[in-house]
Order: sequence, then C-alpha cells, then structure tokens
Amino acid sequence: MKKLKFTDLLITIMIGVVFGVLMKFWDDLYTVVKPIMPVARQLLYGMWFMVGPFAFLLLRKPGTAFIASIAGASLSAFAGHGIEVLMYGFVQGLAAELLFAAFRYRRYSIVIAGLAGVASCLASFGLDLIYGYAALETWALIVKYGLRAISAFIFTGIFAVFIVKALEATGVTSLIRPVDKKEYTMLDQ
Amino acid sequence: MFNWFTPKRETWLFRVNPALKFIVFFAFLIITLVNQSLPFALSQAILYGILFYGFSGYSMKKLLLLSIPLVISFLSTGLTMLLFGKGETVLWQWGLFKISEESIRHALLLGSKSLSFGFVGFTFILTIQPVLFFYAMMQQFRLPSKYAYSFIAAFRLIPAVTEELQIRRNALKVRNIQFSKGVKGLYERLQSYTVPLFAQSIRRAQRIAVAMEAKQYQMGAARTYYYPTRYNRIDVVFVLIMIGSLTLAFLLSVYQ
Repeated sequence: MKKLKFTDLLITIMIGVVFGVLMKFWDDLYTVVKPIMPVARQLLYGMWFMVGPFAFLLLRKPGTAFIASIAGASLSAFAGHGIEVLMYGFVQGLAAELLFAAFRYRRYSIVIAGLAGVASCLASFGLDLIYGYAALETWALIVKYGLRAISAFIFTGIFAVFIVKALEATGVTSLIRPVDKKEYTMLDQ
Repeated sequence: MFNWFTPKRETWLFRVNPALKFIVFFAFLIITLVNQSLPFALSQAILYGILFYGFSGYSMKKLLLLSIPLVISFLSTGLTMLLFGKGETVLWQWGLFKISEESIRHALLLGSKSLSFGFVGFTFILTIQPVLFFYAMMQQFRLPSKYAYSFIAAFRLIPAVTEELQIRRNALKVRNIQFSKGVKGLYERLQSYTVPLFAQSIRRAQRIAVAMEAKQYQMGAARTYYYPTRYNRIDVVFVLIMIGSLTLAFLLSVYQ
C-alpha cells in the first residue's frame, strides 16, 4: 500500500484548511438562504461533506480523506464554529475513509466518491441523533436528510470529480501523484 | 485584525497547558453531546457561560460581539425544532407548523447544547496561542510532529488563501462573468473559485514540504522543541475546578 510521504501529508492538511476557508464563505451564503428557502439550504449542505472525498480523489492515498476532513473541521473550529464541528469532521472523515477502504482505495469514479459523501451524511445523521437535531416529525426528518443525502452525492461525487479533473488539467497533480508506469515506458522510447 | 484578539487581562485560564485544556474541554463537551436531560443541559450552559464571560479576560464589549453568532445559532436551531419537532401534546398548530410540549423541551435542550459548545469553543480559542497548542500536543500528548508542523504551516498560509480568494472574486467581477442559474451555476461558481485556489495552495504546500525536508526535517525522528511546554500547578487546579463545577452543575440540575 502506498504510504503518505511528508509532502502528501502537508498537501492533505493544506487542502483541508483551504476547504475550511471556503466553508467559512459558504457559511455566509448558507446563513442568508437558511430562513427563506429551507429546501435550497439543504441542497447547499453537501459542501460540508466534500473535503474528505475531494482530498482522496486528488491524492489517491489511504488516510487522506480522514486527515483532510479533520483539518477542515479544525480550521472551522478555530474560526469560531465551536468544538462540535471537530466531532462532526471526525465521524464524516472516518465514514468516507472507510468507504474508500472498502473498495481497496482503487476506485475514483463519480459513484464511489458520491457514495463516500452519502456515507459521511449518514455518519453526521448518527451524530445529529445523539445531539438532538433529529427529534423532528417523520416527514420533516425524511425531507431534511433525504435532500441532504442528495446534495452530498452531487457535491462529493459529481462536483468533486469534475473539479479534480479541472485541476489535473492545470498540471499540479503531477506534483503529488506517484509516477505512472506509462511515463517510465515513455522514457525508454 | 490580530490585535483584536489581545485580552484585557490574562486570567488563570491562559496559564493552563493548552493541550490539556483542549483535552479536558473536548471530554466535557462529549458529556454535553450525549446528555439528554434538559435541566442538566441548562446548568451546563450556565456554567460554561460563567467561564466565557467571567474568565476569558476579554472586555464585555468584545464578548457581547462574539455572542451574536451564538444567539443566532441558539434561535435558528431552536426555532426549527420548535416548529417541526415531534410531539404528542399539541399546543398550537397551523398547517405544517406544530408546537407541542415535547418540541419546546427539545428546542430548549438543543439550544442550550449549542450555547455550551459555543461558549467552550470561544473560551478555548480566546485563551490559547495556536502555535503553543500544537507544541503542547506534541510534547504532552505525543501527537506526531509531522501532523503538528503540517497544521502550523497550513494555518500560516490562511491569510494568503483569503487574499487569493479576494483577488479571484475581483478578477471575476472585472471580467463580468455571468453564471448560469440552478445547480449548473452552483458548479460553475464553485469551479471558478476553487480551481485556481487549490492549484496555488497545492504548489505552495509542496514547496514548503520540500524546503522542510531539504533542511533535514524527518518524520518520526526524535527531536527537541523550540518552545518547551510542561505541566504546572495551575493545571491541577484547572482540572479540579472543571470537575468540581460540572459535578455541581449536575447536582443542581438533579436537586433543583
């Protein structure tokens, strides 16, 4: 199994921190939308699940989803969102990591990344149950978490995969990903 | 901006080992998280409120300013629960909105939990220095140095990241970029901001890592620390006070 080098680790944590900054701005949008459009608000929620799967899609190494998720959450916690964010980051990152591990860290498709987001969503639902966010009427519960799961799939599956593709086009991924066999054979020609 | 975060006076909380403070607060908040009793949740919120308003060492004006998001989150989380929470004994109903005795109880429980989290979170960040916190985590709690230094390096780059975000926003404005409506527009917006931001951050992080390794930073090697941190008498006092006051809060909630 490919282990994390120091460069990978620093980049993973950096990605988490950048996501933390982005989430801070996203939060402003979310707060504006929150009272007026409850449906749109749940559809924006997927952003909070994106960091872990995104980091894994980019670096493709075990541990990255979990570490990036914690890094993003700790930035949010330091930015004044409270320590509960850290607990959420922990379980969400763990869920996404376990899902990628279940596929032996070899699948980077939209479906698998999306499922990782849905797994994070499920984990955060579990924490919501304990916290007390989930003591809603059944219809409200289904609407809230159903929309949230859909949003998780859109953000971590579709959006994350396409943004990583766009990043590959910029060439930065060549700094981080292990050199392909194909590239070695090209040298021989 | 950073001058804003200088306290009026340094209370005893400032002298507690930052890593120990974090672990204790975290453990106590897990109690807050799993607790389902309303009186105990209320007394915890009051306890942490005393900690925040009384011992963080900042002027009341700043503390009240910081309280605004706490009040907003108290109201918004409470209100959803109040109107859509499940319950049998209905007091008021109008269409989908329904207030019941249980939903009032749940709303208050949720609200006081979020207050507790907010108070403790703010008390923590107001009374530590982030760099010393990571040094203490390495020395007192054996956090591997590779994580600690990565965090410190990444945190240092935050101002650069926010500046870049600002530049990107202005650049898009100058070019008069129009985004589509709906989900597609959401993606376009996300992509146009994140791609340059991530590309630049990844390059920067990689350069820092290479520089650190060039200066012989080795993962897992035994090392000495520039800022030594240790336990003091105040740490014992801190742990005793925290355990004592939580016990008191619990007893008060039971024998109210």
